[in-house]
Amino acid sequence: MAGVSLEVVRLTKRYGPRTAVEELSFTAHRGEVVGLLGANGAGKTTTIRLLTTVLQPTSGAFSVAGVPFTRPAEIRRRVGVLPESAGYPGHQSGSDYLRYHARLFGLGRPEAARVAGRLLADVGLEERASSRISTYSRGMRQRLGIARALVNAPPVVFLDEPTLGLDPAGQRQVLGIVRDIAVRRGTTVILSTHALPDVEEVCTRVLILDKGRVLISGTVGEVTATVAAQRYGQLRVPIELVSPARRALAGVAGLTVEAPDERPDVLRISLPAGVGGEQDHPERGMNLALRAVLNADVPVLSFEVEGARLSDAFLTMTGDGVR
Amino acid sequence: MTVNVSERPRAVHGGERPVRSRDPGWRIVAEQECRDLWVSGRGPVLVFAFSVLLSVMTYLAGTNQVLNFLEQREAVNLTLQVAVAVGVLVTLVVSADAISGERERGTLESLLLTPVSRRAIVMGKLVAALSLWLATFLVSVPYVWVLGRGVSIVGPAILLGLLVGTLLAVALSALGLLISALSSSNKVSLAVCFFLLLALFAPTQLPGGGPKGWFGDMLVRLNPVGAALRYLTAVVVNGHDWTRDLSYLVSPLVTAVLAGGALVIAGSRIVRLHGGVSGE
Repeated sequence: MAGVSLEVVRLTKRYGPRTAVEELSFTAHRGEVVGLLGANGAGKTTTIRLLTTVLQPTSGAFSVAGVPFTRPAEIRRRVGVLPESAGYPGHQSGSDYLRYHARLFGLGRPEAARVAGRLLADVGLEERASSRISTYSRGMRQRLGIARALVNAPPVVFLDEPTLGLDPAGQRQVLGIVRDIAVRRGTTVILSTHALPDVEEVCTRVLILDKGRVLISGTVGEVTATVAAQRYGQLRVPIELVSPARRALAGVAGLTVEAPDERPDVLRISLPAGVGGEQDHPERGMNLALRAVLNADVPVLSFEVEGARLSDAFLTMTGDGVR
Repeated sequence: MTVNVSERPRAVHGGERPVRSRDPGWRIVAEQECRDLWVSGRGPVLVFAFSVLLSVMTYLAGTNQVLNFLEQREAVNLTLQVAVAVGVLVTLVVSADAISGERERGTLESLLLTPVSRRAIVMGKLVAALSLWLATFLVSVPYVWVLGRGVSIVGPAILLGLLVGTLLAVALSALGLLISALSSSNKVSLAVCFFLLLALFAPTQLPGGGPKGWFGDMLVRLNPVGAALRYLTAVVVNGHDWTRDLSYLVSPLVTAVLAGGALVIAGSRIVRLHGGVSGE
């Protein structure tokens, strides 16, 4: 298929009686950011290690940029990886580290130096290029790791928990880089993470794994829509207009409206899936509620929908997601 | 801060032809390992400690020589034996840490993710470890020369020490790398290698040279360190021709061939992300 960078067919990895990855199949296209989600032990890291040839599959097949898994060295030339909990040689400078890895990918010394300089600039480490890695913050190390994953200009990049342990600013930087890798370079990014807001922000497609199997795959919207979870909405109106708002909402079939004691200006709306005649788009039921309030000429100060996020789908599908 | 990732260079993309280096993978690994060892690692510290030990040994040998407790040839042989044995020890220690240490520091995975074969990674590390042996031997040359000046044995003794020591260093370094690759942790790897060295080196230091007769001789010949040191003694102290006792070098040679061969043949299988002898 045109534009397919990664094709995985019934990939399985067993450790004795334990199955880490079972019959995993999916394809990823050029420029896509595919989120690999799952609780601890769901098989995300094993999947990445299989697809990057660090581990050998028990059965199944995959190809990267058309190269079959039976040619591991050629696969490694075509992938870039930020491993989970990657270690860095603290005594080396960021520039030395990237030059070394560029040379391991077959670049000559001048070319390796040029690539290292460009990538350090790309990830915002230009000014710290000659500093020892031991002086880098965690966020800087993660960015260095992403730069290392790009030294061979791979068509497919695997990032295993790239925002783990970063402060919000660091997370934002890393996510910006991930987006840039996909958009500007046309690279396919496989992003394994626990941070569901990250996935919602950058991923074009999502795969939810549980016990080594794919539970569901699709766009964030598609995955979220498949969960017939009850939706909640928090509607905030001027306190003197709470009663008219309640009356307006009473006219919408199927809604349950409560007023929390601790916040007299807020109405909590419960919406079972399917209200509004749209089983696949329950968020439209919330639109009906909002429209009813606006038609009653009650100004809406804020309206926040709960239970319509990827995290709800994830928690529903993986049984609370805790292992 | 805003960061922008530049567009992917077409020349290095996918099946297109990248700008390739002619350097083989093992050489790139060896260069970096040597840089890590010598510029910012343990190399200079180990060599300094070695030179302090050798200074003490040379002083003791020198004073014994002055007091006629030790012949000049014996003083040269003693220093040469310490140089070979300790030089090989530090090489073994560095080898023992080479793979299991990287595994524990989390840097092995990124190395395994490069197109360089695991065999080439091991070979690069072997070369870097051997650089430590060569450095320790270079340090020992002036000491041997000082003790043996005036007698014709110094030149041949140094050459012989270099050849025999290199054979022994290759053998034990390859063994160290095998142990490091197969060990479940760095501590296990270092402990096994120290035990190995103790088991091989201690019998050579037994009072009176250990058991006598054919059994004692067999024990010496089976022990690569003991056999190599016995060969040095035979040539340097007893004045034998260098070809006469070559049979003593069979065990160091066999160990080097077996351990080196195992590294070459099994290197791609045993250098793994997780240690231990069970399958991954």
